[in-house]
Amino acid sequence: MQDRRSFLKLGAGAALGGLASTMPGTVMASECGEIKWDESADVIVVGSGFAGLSAALNVKRSGVGSVLVLEKMQVFGGNSAINGGWLAIPKNPTQLAQGVNDDSPEELVKDQIISGRGMQNEAMLRQIANRALDAYDLCIETGVKFRKDFNIQVGGHNKARAIRTQHGTGGDITTKLYEAGVKEGIDYRLQHYIEDFIMDGQEIIGLKVRQNYRFPDLKTGKSIYIKANKAVVLANGGFARNMELRAAVDPSLDPTLDGTNALGATGEVTLTAMAHGALPVHMNLIQTGHWGSPDEGGFGWSNALLSIGWHEGISVSVLNGKRYMNERADRKTCSEAIMKNRYQDGSPAYPVVFFNHKDHPDDDRVVRALRDDMAWKVDSFEQLAEKFNIPLTQLKQTVKEFNAQVSTRQDPLFGRKMDTAVELKPPFVVSRIWPKVHYCMGGLKTDIGARVIDGRSMKPIRKLYAIGEATGGVHGEARLSSTSCLECLTMGIVVSETIKSDV
Amino acid sequence: MSKLLLALLVGLSLSTSAFAGDLVKMKGKTEGRTNHEFIYEDGCQSCHQGSGKKNATDSACVECHGDINSIEIDESKLAIEEANPHKSFHYNQGASCLACHGEHEKKAPVCAECHRTWFDVM
Repeated sequence: MQDRRSFLKLGAGAALGGLASTMPGTVMASECGEIKWDESADVIVVGSGFAGLSAALNVKRSGVGSVLVLEKMQVFGGNSAINGGWLAIPKNPTQLAQGVNDDSPEELVKDQIISGRGMQNEAMLRQIANRALDAYDLCIETGVKFRKDFNIQVGGHNKARAIRTQHGTGGDITTKLYEAGVKEGIDYRLQHYIEDFIMDGQEIIGLKVRQNYRFPDLKTGKSIYIKANKAVVLANGGFARNMELRAAVDPSLDPTLDGTNALGATGEVTLTAMAHGALPVHMNLIQTGHWGSPDEGGFGWSNALLSIGWHEGISVSVLNGKRYMNERADRKTCSEAIMKNRYQDGSPAYPVVFFNHKDHPDDDRVVRALRDDMAWKVDSFEQLAEKFNIPLTQLKQTVKEFNAQVSTRQDPLFGRKMDTAVELKPPFVVSRIWPKVHYCMGGLKTDIGARVIDGRSMKPIRKLYAIGEATGGVHGEARLSSTSCLECLTMGIVVSETIKSDV
Repeated sequence: MSKLLLALLVGLSLSTSAFAGDLVKMKGKTEGRTNHEFIYEDGCQSCHQGSGKKNATDSACVECHGDINSIEIDESKLAIEEANPHKSFHYNQGASCLACHGEHEKKAPVCAECHRTWFDVM
């Protein structure tokens, strides 16, 4: 063992310039003499979303040495760059200015325990909540702008504590963290795909990386070996875009479900960690939203548009022109009802949701949806029926019945709460719906300091850390909105402290 | 690189249209952008470091065109004012040229993965 280790050190020092292209495709640390490192860095961060970017910046500032960030796609930011920019921060300045004085980290944890349904990691959630203001400060200090005077209560939270970035996207955060890191000397690389970990027993010593990789073609680029002197931080995100893995861990997830995630959320680095002994937990806990639209990519405008439609409008099956669910039921109930709408060959018969245009002509939620062709304005029942191939007579009958229910405030068909329902009359705003996969609660098990746990020894794999959606077991059964960004930013701070204490 | 830049200036004076140039046959079966014609005369190595079989990186683009924020585009053609891909809210400086631009084939920009109606295949 001692000989091998000293050889590896020697190899690392001797291999400037690199002969990697002449080497065999797979390398094991035990095959002494095979590793010629092309490059080295003190800390390598895999992935460039909230978690990776926060980790890189905080590690760099902690003074442990050089930091290299590897991103496989052609853009930095991962899924975070296209997220909605919501961030839950108990005791944030806007919240306090609004006079909400009874919130605390513990109040947030209380909400997350309810949502986690006993499966959550309470100590981890508490640590994250207690550091929330550190995450907020990191944003402010790197130049992130939040919407002025904006702090609201979002689903599952008992307090108004969610702030939102200026442009309503996580890109407002990722761009600032990235640009701060560039100024501070962090080395960021696009198109670097992790092929394998180079291990020495229960210690990671480097990475085999495909450089100049072009997603998703694994034949592109060439393999190089990068030595990690002090740490490898896995911040590679979730796997909602990996259809085979999704189906393997949760067979109940319908293959017709699109996802809200960036295309790179395929999880192969998580699988590589597992192959080297890392313990996966909760892999089958995958969050879906019933508010998706098949007529746009990503998270899109649909959820915001439906915040009108679920209340004031109705959802109708294109197969028979009838309502088929309580539009205000929870995510799971609605998802199941929506997905029953199928043509005979099993393909989705996307249901429609519509409400009165005249009640919201200038609402941004409506204007942008119409502008971007993910919703349409129809002037009559005939036009609605023709555009979506809905039986006209039944459609008219359905609206007539619903309007009668609006006046009685009763929904004998589905038991919907009718306090916000509005009598329907064309012209309508109409959109199509189908659920989307959104977030992976499962991933790699870590200790509270973000050290990856080997399932065989239940001890940390030396020098290997994981943070963000790549980890599992933090949120339990269901993650609350606006808490992933918080987790990622905060754990980037925590992992920098752990690495500093471990080296 | 002054030769390249001079050639670029000549190229620009000849063709003042299009953002990225039309795609035409350049060498054998290889297609390329009209505004890059002069580069093909110098061979693949101008962009592909070492060999035409190796993937090009942004450095070749940046050398002539400058960095992403400084490259002006026709803002009157944007779907909405905020959707300026060279000053993107999502990526800003953190995007490779290659995320949106293909030299040898038409490509849909990365933005179109979500914003399907805002950008055309280029």
